[in-house]
Amino acid sequence: MSSYPATSATSSKTKEERDREVALYHANLIQQRKDIELEILLSTETLIDYPLARSPYDASNPSPADAKTFKELLRPFQPSDYDALIVERNINEHCGYALCPNPRVKEEGGGRFRILGMNGKAKDFKVVEKEELEKWCSPACAKRALYVRVQLSETVAWERGAMENAANIDLLDEPKSEDGSLAERMEKMDIETDNAAGKKDAANLALERGDKTMAARNALVNINIQEKDVSKVPQAPSLDDKDLSGRLDSMHLTLEGHTSTFGSRRERRHNEELDGANIDDGEEDSEEDTDWQL
Amino acid sequence: MASTDEDRMRKQREAGERESAKLWRACRTVHEMVRDRGYQLSDAEVTMSFDAFKQKYTTDDGSISRKMMNFSASPTLEMIKRYSNPVTAHDLHPSSPDIGTIWVEFLPDSNVGIKQMRAFAQHLTANNFHTGILITGVNITPAALKIIPAVASETRIECFMEADLLVNITHHELVPQHVLLSKEERTALLQRYRLKDTQLPRIQLGDPVARYLGLRRGQVVKIIRKSETAGRYASYRLCV
Ligand SMILES: [Zn+2]
Repeated sequence: MSSYPATSATSSKTKEERDREVALYHANLIQQRKDIELEILLSTETLIDYPLARSPYDASNPSPADAKTFKELLRPFQPSDYDALIVERNINEHCGYALCPNPRVKEEGGGRFRILGMNGKAKDFKVVEKEELEKWCSPACAKRALYVRVQLSETVAWERGAMENAANIDLLDEPKSEDGSLAERMEKMDIETDNAAGKKDAANLALERGDKTMAARNALVNINIQEKDVSKVPQAPSLDDKDLSGRLDSMHLTLEGHTSTFGSRRERRHNEELDGANIDDGEEDSEEDTDWQL
Repeated sequence: MASTDEDRMRKQREAGERESAKLWRACRTVHEMVRDRGYQLSDAEVTMSFDAFKQKYTTDDGSISRKMMNFSASPTLEMIKRYSNPVTAHDLHPSSPDIGTIWVEFLPDSNVGIKQMRAFAQHLTANNFHTGILITGVNITPAALKIIPAVASETRIECFMEADLLVNITHHELVPQHVLLSKEERTALLQRYRLKDTQLPRIQLGDPVARYLGLRRGQVVKIIRKSETAGRYASYRLCV
C-alpha cells in the first residue's frame, strides 16, 4: 500500500529508457489523433453521397441500414466536423441533412435575408439569412440536422472517455419500416438486458481507475489497484478502547467519527521540523495516502 | 433604349477583359514559379503576351477556358542534381531524388470541397505526377485541405489562389533572392561553420517565398541581399 508500483518500476530504469518511453508515448498519442482525424475525413467523404437507399425512403423515414451507418460514422465527430459535412454536401447540391435524398433549395433573387412565417402566428415570424435557408431542402431537414448536431460531443474524440465515445445518437425521425424498427428494438433490448446496469458499473470503474481518456489509457504511470489485506475479523469501534485516554482531549471535536485536523496537522508539522524532514514532501505523501485509503 | 443596351454590352465586355487579364497574370506567375523551381519550360511559354494568351485560351463564348490552361513540366537535369541524395560513407546507394513531373491545374469551380480535391489527387496518381499545383478562384474548404496530408505518400499537392498569383512576389525589389541549396551544399555549409541545422535561422513552410519555391521541411535556402555598404551578402535559413 505504501509503495507505488509506478515509482518503484521507473526508478530501476535508466534515463535513456525513460526518455524513450516518453517519446514513444507521445508518438502514440499523435498517431492515434491522426488515425481519428483520417477516420473523420473518410466518413465525411462517405456521407457526402448519403443516403444510399432511395424511394420509398426519405428524410422522414430513412432506410434502417443508412440510419445505422450514419449514426456509427458520426461517433467521433465534433459539431465542427458535422458543420464541415454540411458544407461539403451543399457544395454537391445535396440537402445538408445526410439522410435526405433531396437537393438543397436555391432561393431566387438577391439580398441576404428572407422573412418566414408571414401569415402564421407571431411566434413563427422569423428573419433568416438566405445562406442558412439554402443549406437544406426544407425547414424540417434543418430541424432534423440540428437535432443530431446537439448530441455530438464538443470534446475531440481522442480525449473522450470510453463511455462518451459509445454514446448512441438519436434521430428526430427514426426509420419507420417494420424490419428495421424490429431489428433496432431487438438491438436495444439486448443492450438493456445485458448492458444497462453493466454500462453504469463500467463507467464507475473507469472513473475510479482514472481510465478516463485515451491519454490515460496508455499512460506512463502504471496504475494497479491493490486491495488491502485484511487478516483479522473487523470489529465495530467501542468506547472501551485502550487508547481512548489519548483521544479524550479531542473527542469533543469529533463529528460523526471524523476529527478535524487543525490541531493534529500543526502538531505533525512541528514534529517534522524537529525531524528535519521536507515539509512539502510530507504533505503531498500524506494527502495521496488518504486518497488511496478512500 | 439602344444606347443602354450598348452600354450594358460595353460593360460586360470590359468585365470580361478584366477577368482575362487577371487569368493571364496568374498564368504567367505560375509559369515563372515552375521555371524558377527548376522545371523545364520554354521562354515562349513563360513570357506569353496578353494577346497571344487570349488567342490561345478564349473559347467560342468569348470567355477564357481555365481547363485549357492546365500544363505539366519535367525537372531539368540541374534540378534533379539539386534534389539528389549524395553518396556518403554511410549511404553508398542513396535513394533516387524525390522529384518528378509537375502538373498545374486551374479549377473553375465556384466551390472547392472534398470531391474536387479527391479528383485532383486521383488525377495526379493515375498519371504518375510527382507534384500537383491546384489553382482556384475561391478558398478551399478546410475538410478538403485534410486530403493533402492523407495522400502525401502518393503525391505532393500544393494549392494557390488566383488572387495570390496576380503579381510575382519574388520580383518585388524588397524580396531578396532565395536559392535552394542541394544536399551536398547543405552538408558543406554546416561542416564549414560547425553548425547543426537547427542552429540556423528559420523560414516557415507557409512563408510566401517558401511556398513559391515549394520548399520542404529540412531544406536550406541561401538568401542573397544587396547592401549599399557591403555589396552582396548571403545568409542561410532552414525550412521548418
Ligand atoms: Zn432535406
